[in-house]
Amino acid sequence: MNDAAERAEEVAADSAVADEVGHVPGGVTAEGELVAPVLPKGLRRVPRGVDEVATEHLVVNMGPQHPSTHGVLHILLELDGEEIIAAEASLGYLHRGIEKLSEHRRYAHIGTLLDRADYLSGIHTETAFAMAVERMLEIEVPEKAWWIRCLLAEVNRIASHLVWLGTFGLDIGAMGPFLYCLRDREQLLDILETVTGARMMFNYVRPGGVLMDLPPETEPMIRKFLSTFDKYMSEYDELLSGNEIFLRRVKGIGIISPETAVAFGLTGASLRGSGFGWDVRKERPYGIYPELDFDIPVGSVGDCWDRYVVRMEEMRWAAKLTTQLLDGMPAGDFTAKVPRVLRPPAGEAYAAVESPRGELGVHVISDGSDKPYRLKIRPPALYNLAVIDEVLPGYKIADAVAIVGSLDIVLGEIDR
Amino acid sequence: MLPDVTALNRVLAGVSGAKVLEEGPGVVCRVPFDRVLETMKALAGEGGEFDMLVDLFGTDTGEAIDLTWHLRAFGKDQEVYVRSFVPYDAEVASVWSVYPAALYSERETAELLGVRFPGHPNPKRLLTVDEIGSFPLRKSAAIRERADYARPGVRVTPKEGGDADE
Amino acid sequence: MSPYLEVLLKALAALGLMLVNGVVLIYMLRKVLGHFHLRLGPMRVGWHGTLQTIADVVKLLTKEDFNPSLTDKALFVVAPFVVFVPSFMAYLALPFHESLKFADLDNGLFYVFGVLAIVPVGVLMAGWASNSKWSLIGGMRATAQQIAYEVPLLLSVLGVVLIAGSLNLAEIVRTQQGLWLGFIPRWYIIPQFPAFVLFLIAGLAELNQTPFDMSEAESELVAGFVNEYSGMKFAFFFLAEFSNSFIISALAATVFFGGWLVPWYPDAPAWLCAMVFLIKTYVGIFVLMWIRGTLPRIRIDQLLAYGWKVLIPASLVWILVTGFVLKAVA
Repeated sequence: MNDAAERAEEVAADSAVADEVGHVPGGVTAEGELVAPVLPKGLRRVPRGVDEVATEHLVVNMGPQHPSTHGVLHILLELDGEEIIAAEASLGYLHRGIEKLSEHRRYAHIGTLLDRADYLSGIHTETAFAMAVERMLEIEVPEKAWWIRCLLAEVNRIASHLVWLGTFGLDIGAMGPFLYCLRDREQLLDILETVTGARMMFNYVRPGGVLMDLPPETEPMIRKFLSTFDKYMSEYDELLSGNEIFLRRVKGIGIISPETAVAFGLTGASLRGSGFGWDVRKERPYGIYPELDFDIPVGSVGDCWDRYVVRMEEMRWAAKLTTQLLDGMPAGDFTAKVPRVLRPPAGEAYAAVESPRGELGVHVISDGSDKPYRLKIRPPALYNLAVIDEVLPGYKIADAVAIVGSLDIVLGEIDR
Repeated sequence: MLPDVTALNRVLAGVSGAKVLEEGPGVVCRVPFDRVLETMKALAGEGGEFDMLVDLFGTDTGEAIDLTWHLRAFGKDQEVYVRSFVPYDAEVASVWSVYPAALYSERETAELLGVRFPGHPNPKRLLTVDEIGSFPLRKSAAIRERADYARPGVRVTPKEGGDADE
Repeated sequence: MSPYLEVLLKALAALGLMLVNGVVLIYMLRKVLGHFHLRLGPMRVGWHGTLQTIADVVKLLTKEDFNPSLTDKALFVVAPFVVFVPSFMAYLALPFHESLKFADLDNGLFYVFGVLAIVPVGVLMAGWASNSKWSLIGGMRATAQQIAYEVPLLLSVLGVVLIAGSLNLAEIVRTQQGLWLGFIPRWYIIPQFPAFVLFLIAGLAELNQTPFDMSEAESELVAGFVNEYSGMKFAFFFLAEFSNSFIISALAATVFFGGWLVPWYPDAPAWLCAMVFLIKTYVGIFVLMWIRGTLPRIRIDQLLAYGWKVLIPASLVWILVTGFVLKAVA
């Protein structure tokens, strides 16, 4: 805890620097009194974006073709030398209109589209959508279906976090961890392929249950992976967590206070890294999560290091959850009796799951026909990314890369 | 999880035309579109303590845009939906000063549904290009049907009643 | 033989060595990094990909010599050579054996550092002339970094110069002959180990190698100052980078590891000495690649702070310590 106190001091010093640099709007009255800035809670400055016309600072386009933008993210940076004055995300390079397309697909066909929204954790998006439809149709999902869903969700969570860990290492400049992570993710993708038939675009979780039962070879495959998982985690720890350079690059960098995190609607590990222990699996329990035994790792300061530690711990917990789910897998039906064409009654439902990136919600509005009248995905990564307008100013270019990496964004989900 | 309707009514007493109903996904505060900012301030302030905007989206009902703000109070563990019918081409005050999370969602809603949010500090397009020419999520903006893909030499059979690949 | 012809032949030999080295090192880098990263590296062209580099060189040679339209033409074309030529010149001072030297320079050590100090000028030229913001930032970073790290690099070898009493690289090697206690080679690595650590760190920075690859930090600046370069001009930057890592490794071998001397075999023939020198150098390069494959990248302000506030004072203190000890022994 001495460590935490030390870091809190660093944080205080850092915000003092921010004051000196003058990012905090406010003023001085005629009497010489400081006037506090009139801003919403958790903000230091008005996020007015980047002034592209000004010439005093260097405005650079980080992306859309840039090695560390996790897809096709485009960040406008206003630089004063190496220091960032203002930042803004310019999105839409991967906008495929999934929400509009969903209005023209029957319920059974939408899973295919949703897989392509968050392509690293398709099971979660599918589950959220299936839950929303089940709520409207009032379908009772068999217990085994939920066990399978949660099992695959946790396997998918580890796979997704491994991609995050690898790319985060790349962002910091270490190329090794990336390939180590992909080596281990490959095993998980093999498991998912054995169960669902696809490596990433599963279309496996259907309203009412899942597509098919777990094949018998799944359990030994998962157990084989879990038996080596601790060894893998210690490898990552050796490569990154214990590295002095890495620690210098992430500790005290990109501090998001709990107020800022809540103001910008952060969820998932980005919110928990700021010390706000809110997890959909605990607070809005779904499936069989209430029956499982797990903890929510929470950070303290809200810097990149905290988000890193929270995600690493989440991976360890996901592995433990996977063991519990394998041990307790019941027998029974894997899907409920569902009509061939789903026609939910007019109405609406919102269902949220804890995806690797945060609260992933699907809001479905039905008019009684076989197609949704409106389908809205609540993209956790979009809200997580929005915070860069507030957090990046005052840091260096290299920190921008680290901060964006620590937020774990997936552009497919942000742009939809 | 669901907030108390009478308590919410008390919070929204100062907002004229606000109604608290139990419908749809939970508890919905139906407010006139020119009172949205006022509503948000009341809900975020004393008695409401809704501190996070979970999501903002709009639905084209055919007569107006039905905007939905999904709010959450962490302390009380409650969720509420604020809804407002916005006539086409009407303006709704930006709520970013109460909920900064609305900054990006408002830009998205503005370009996809054609609702303007005066007061937004950076009202650029977010997802689509300037040349798009329509508001894609409005019901009037049809996606291309199968027949639209017909080119000379390519025979496309339109399906009965279906506008998507089966 | 006319002295001019001799000089020309020596220069051609150095150029040939440099090019062959480049080809070998590129292949080695790919293979070494590949195996560190659980990959195989190139496997298709030739046996275990041995011809891959040749294929790449042919590709680079036949590529269009492309100049982006808004660049500063003259500087853009000159910059690769300003980077390439110093590293070629530095080869001339390296002694491979008593009888295998391109030039026997009395101030060889300073000569090498002197010509290598021209490299950042070329890098800055490339960054500026590219008319690209990322290139410019890369060029600025490279200059700031190399100025900060050239000083400790030079200071770190001064301890050895004090002991050897010469700046001549061949003379430094000669003073390392013999054994301590009958079995420990009299290499300067043993009395000057802290200096070697300083040399290694400063050398990594001088080479723009991970963890100090600021100027071409891939995840930050895309490719830094070489962003707009392609084809053969790009290849010159690449070649200079590899030959610089050869030079720094060769310097380390010469100054700290007894150069061409074969331990426990004082009467080794010339060819064996040259082989041993190359092996020592290549082991050094392997260590550089090892570091490259493992470590993350430090941040530019941390790097500069480390250079000015830690490395320079530490190397000055070490020179003082060496001086006092030498005085006390004498």
